[in-house]
Amino acid sequence: MKYVEFINELIAREAEKHDQIVLFGQNINAGSFVGGFTKELRVKPTGRIFNSTNSENSLCGFGFGLMMQGARAIFFMKQLDFLLLGIDQLVNTYNIIRNMPGKPTGSFTIMPIVVDNGYQGPQSSLNNFADFCSLGRIPGFTITNKLDAELIIRSNMVSPGFRIIAVSQRLFKEELIIPNKPVYCDNNLTLFQYAAGKNATIICFNFSFPQGLAIHNALKKAGINTSLFNVNSPTPINWSKVIADAKKTEKLLILDDSKSQNLSCHSLLSDAETKVRLKKKLVLVKKFDGEWLIPNADQLEINIRSIIRRLQL
Amino acid sequence: MIINEKEKIQIAREIIRLRLSQMIVNEKCKSGEFKIPVHLALGHEALAIAVSSIMQGKDKLLLSHRNIAYNLARAPLLPIMNEYFLKPAGLAKGRFGSMNLINPRRGVAYTSSILGNQFAIAVGISMAEKLFDGKSITIVIGGDGAIEEGIFYESLVMSRSLGVPLLFLIENNGWSMATKIEERRKTINLRALSGSLGVKYTRLSGNDPYEYINKLQKLRASIIKEKNPYCVEVKITTLGDWRGPKNIEYPDGKFIQYHAGSAPNIAPSDWPLIKNSEEDPLWVLAKRFGEKKLRAVAKRQLAKLRQKIS
Repeated sequence: MKYVEFINELIAREAEKHDQIVLFGQNINAGSFVGGFTKELRVKPTGRIFNSTNSENSLCGFGFGLMMQGARAIFFMKQLDFLLLGIDQLVNTYNIIRNMPGKPTGSFTIMPIVVDNGYQGPQSSLNNFADFCSLGRIPGFTITNKLDAELIIRSNMVSPGFRIIAVSQRLFKEELIIPNKPVYCDNNLTLFQYAAGKNATIICFNFSFPQGLAIHNALKKAGINTSLFNVNSPTPINWSKVIADAKKTEKLLILDDSKSQNLSCHSLLSDAETKVRLKKKLVLVKKFDGEWLIPNADQLEINIRSIIRRLQL
Repeated sequence: MIINEKEKIQIAREIIRLRLSQMIVNEKCKSGEFKIPVHLALGHEALAIAVSSIMQGKDKLLLSHRNIAYNLARAPLLPIMNEYFLKPAGLAKGRFGSMNLINPRRGVAYTSSILGNQFAIAVGISMAEKLFDGKSITIVIGGDGAIEEGIFYESLVMSRSLGVPLLFLIENNGWSMATKIEERRKTINLRALSGSLGVKYTRLSGNDPYEYINKLQKLRASIIKEKNPYCVEVKITTLGDWRGPKNIEYPDGKFIQYHAGSAPNIAPSDWPLIKNSEEDPLWVLAKRFGEKKLRAVAKRQLAKLRQKIS
């Protein structure tokens, strides 16, 4: 099963369970159904699905308005960079709403597709999901595999309050990754640990989990057992679990494919530098050469042999 | 609804209360007692009372940074003043200040200090009203500056497309901060803009609260019946003007309509009239009831307000 098919099924099953649910977005119920992401969505008679206008700023405000009235609003967005138009709502409107007395009864979830599949041109390749969350300390989640998808969508998609749940366009047509059952997952679903090993600690940010898993598996074959973490939420999280693991392994490998100047992994690095005496530290991030704006494959390239060699040294 | 004489005088009393309450707030602004910014709405009292009067049941009101008149129409001065002092006894427990002051219990669901931001929230709220209630409307207030923002157009399009019970009420005071409309843009023909989207339009002016109430009440009923938005443009003057420094271009100083902070030339009095024209709702009321009668009302109101906040 493909990544997009699995997520679509999860969303559809969850959406049809709830009353007063309003699903909206551009072309969510027509054409390609946003590339299969929103195919065959159904709601109860108390709900509504509609193809919206092309007005991202207003659609974000609209979702907050529905949430304030107790509805369950979900805005499916074709591209994360369209959300740039709604930043006023994400920051200013959300600040008012979360300052209101009492707990919210309604919910609002924005589900953008991060266009990280490359060859888009100078525009439409923004993948800095953490930047959106950071602007307003917004709860946000990335989905990379079967396990995080199930847990995050089931527990967050229609739960009271606001959040953004982002999916990766690059992974849409890839086979769904089915990792081992997590050995650790915090209550807020911000940090997942998929393996515990004593030789190195691997931690993945943004949508770099497939690369991290590939490295983990290759190292295992080479006799190097690693711990494997994925950071699913870019809002500030407690690094103690990762720090404790890195203290044991003394080797830290960080992957972050976000194209931001302010990478989420810097927060972990800062903590690790002060708390852990590392024998080896590898930080794999996107490189920006003179051609980064022209259409290209646009993904975090990794050289597994080189990584193995460097970790073995 | 026919407003009887007793109700009419009660409405006049409320308008005078709003005027004097703002004048008292202005005194605190003058003495620099607030840490928060204040945007007075002197001259907006008749419209604010009219809007408040037509609200029923679960109707919602969404406001801008210049929300003081509407909040005073829905709550007494003391909790608002306490909010401005950021006290726990404030209307919103001192957590929202002036530009975002809300009062959900009385239908003031949301206010925005970001120009036009509130329009989209109002579309969402009215969509929920349409889906889950069907008996109430949402009223969203913005100004002639806010309609320059793209979100106004987007919200008009969305509200008409979704057929939601929403009243866009545009207070056109002709100014955005210190610039007049003609100094910053071409005229926006709101009637034509609304009409192009199939949104019905009406214009109000003259500061007659009873005429405003009658017209807005009819609009409310029509919005619920037709399940469609409506746009009302109100010609209004924000009183409390001042003059910039004298120079060759402006020998008497450039006229600036009040925007924010204190209005230096305004002070509370037994007869709080600011302008001898229909730009001032009190002048309109005085024409109807006679100045003498209203002076007596104002004197009592001022004493009462001062006692309450002392």
